[in-house]
Amino acid sequence: MSEHDDRLVRCFASVFPMMSEEEIRASNVVPLFELDSLAGVTLVALIDQEFGINVEISDLLKLVSFESISQFVQKGNSFEVSHE
Amino acid sequence: MGVGRYPMNLLQALELLKQPVSEPESDRQLYLGCGFTPLHLKTFLAAYLRRCFPKDHIEISTGLYGDLIGNLERLRPSGGLMACVVVEWADLDPRLGIRSLGGWASADIPDIVESARRQSERLADLIKQLADKTPVYLSTPTLPLPPMFTTRTAQAHHSECQLREIVASLATSLSAHGRVRLLNSQLLDELSPPARRLDPKAEITTGFPYTLEHVACLAELLSTLIQDSRPKKGLITDLDDTLWAGILGEIGVDGILWDLAGNAHIHGLYQQFLASLASAGVLIAVASKNDPALVEQALTRGDMLLSKDSLFPLEVHWKAKSESVGRILETWNIGPADVIFIDDSPMEVAQVHAAFPEMECIVFPKGNYQATWDLLKGLRNYFGKESVSPEDVIRLQSIRAGSTLKSSAPKGELNADDFLLGAEAVVTFSLGANSRDNRAFELVNKTNQFNLNGKRYSESDWISFFQDPAAFLLTASYEDKYGPLGKVAVVMGKTFGRKVHVSTWVMSCRAFSRRIEHHCLKYLFEKLDAEEIVFEYKLTPRNGPIRDFFAELLGEANGLAPTVHKASFDANVPALFHHIVEVANV
Repeated sequence: MSEHDDRLVRCFASVFPMMSEEEIRASNVVPLFELDSLAGVTLVALIDQEFGINVEISDLLKLVSFESISQFVQKGNSFEVSHE
Repeated sequence: MGVGRYPMNLLQALELLKQPVSEPESDRQLYLGCGFTPLHLKTFLAAYLRRCFPKDHIEISTGLYGDLIGNLERLRPSGGLMACVVVEWADLDPRLGIRSLGGWASADIPDIVESARRQSERLADLIKQLADKTPVYLSTPTLPLPPMFTTRTAQAHHSECQLREIVASLATSLSAHGRVRLLNSQLLDELSPPARRLDPKAEITTGFPYTLEHVACLAELLSTLIQDSRPKKGLITDLDDTLWAGILGEIGVDGILWDLAGNAHIHGLYQQFLASLASAGVLIAVASKNDPALVEQALTRGDMLLSKDSLFPLEVHWKAKSESVGRILETWNIGPADVIFIDDSPMEVAQVHAAFPEMECIVFPKGNYQATWDLLKGLRNYFGKESVSPEDVIRLQSIRAGSTLKSSAPKGELNADDFLLGAEAVVTFSLGANSRDNRAFELVNKTNQFNLNGKRYSESDWISFFQDPAAFLLTASYEDKYGPLGKVAVVMGKTFGRKVHVSTWVMSCRAFSRRIEHHCLKYLFEKLDAEEIVFEYKLTPRNGPIRDFFAELLGEANGLAPTVHKASFDANVPALFHHIVEVANV
């Protein structure tokens, strides 16, 4: 796994402290944010500060999985990643 | 020095908060009052407080969005709750924020100003009421005003000035309250540029108005206010190229300079600053490798900005500076961690620091204007205190008196009674439950040696303690023919019938060897009609003097709760010669 992914895992883990790394990597974020809307706002702020990428919660919800968010972040705010 | 040196980002803050506090030493409850969504402010504040109090469990509660006044009206502080209130323009009138679309027409502006004035007055009343019950840490608006005024942005509009005046009045009024700690907007401006504070996107989409950088700064400063660190007590300064420009031994008394004409103004500023510290009770001493006779003449020069009387003791000779510093600490009877040493020579600074690693040792930046300015600001931070007490004003006088007393005190015990009798001592007792006694609060939180158990109190714990009707506070002030010592002893506890439970007892080390501690007990037995006094004693690394006191009185400090019975106290108490004065404690 890349340093990039590790950093994204840290962001997720700080917002969802009860989840293990494996659960984060396998997670579907939509139900998580439905349960906790503040978590979505915090994750957006974290991605902005850690990766310098301006992202909307609606973008995260479209991306759905950790993997697709990771691709999105790596490409630097480009919607060329596949939306699941 | 401290604030702003180690800023956190959001990830660091969240990760810090994820770490559990194993076996917390105490609970700290903070109410965060604001009109916006607290979101990252709550996170950063919790993280910075965790950094300040790593062994405490910290809980932050908040109120409803958009209703700061209502939140404060509904708040019922109890049991050690502290309050942190963060006011923004929108709390004074929602039209001063960008989430409301209430209208910015020029005809609306006077109404906005009047509405802000009324809300500000209401806020001031509520915060004062709150501060009567618990400490309040306050931040006044930090965000820019919206572009609602008809002038160009470079020109301040009259209404804009009126709004700033309203906030300035709010701050002025509340800063005068003894339990309101107002965040210094000048420092916030230095750390967080005003143009980079508002995050319009976050404000509009989530109701949280700050950029992450700004909220981190704001939270750090608020946590610094809450932490209320102990000020340093003394400063030891060099003379040549520090207190003045030039080497006294080479250029003579008339050659040393500290003025503009002599290109030595920063030394004048330093003298003026030390005089200010001395006037606030900071001890200032001199450690200089110099000719004592020349120094005597130099310090009495008419244009000195720092009076020779403010300096004590003067260690002027050719021996090692660390020896001088050791003697000064002994005279002051304080530890190296409470003192700052300043010298222009990096070698001398290193030598003193090697001998006293806990002491902050600073090279005086001669010839560097910016560094001198930064030094003075840093020193203000080290020595800053809530207020200047009468004890601060007489501290140096009482240390000089103590020095005289030491030299005239009897060597053996044979004539100790005669000596104390001749001291013409007066002890003034004040017994009550006045939680507003700032000097008592300060003494309890800084005394180490004659300290029953080392227990420290936050302001909210202190207020909470005295809300119990059984609680009492006894303070003792002392004066003898050698001079006044001010308020030197504090006893706190609770009464249960004729049994007294003492949970805190401290006495300033300046008051040792005068039997004031004996008289405190005698007074308590008499005034509280007590049969026995139980002490919540705990051995600490530095409270040997109180352990010795119990050992002398009881044979030994018997476990965690030494008990003194009136009959045995009366039988063992040494002769007490103080004249007693009683004053009300309300």
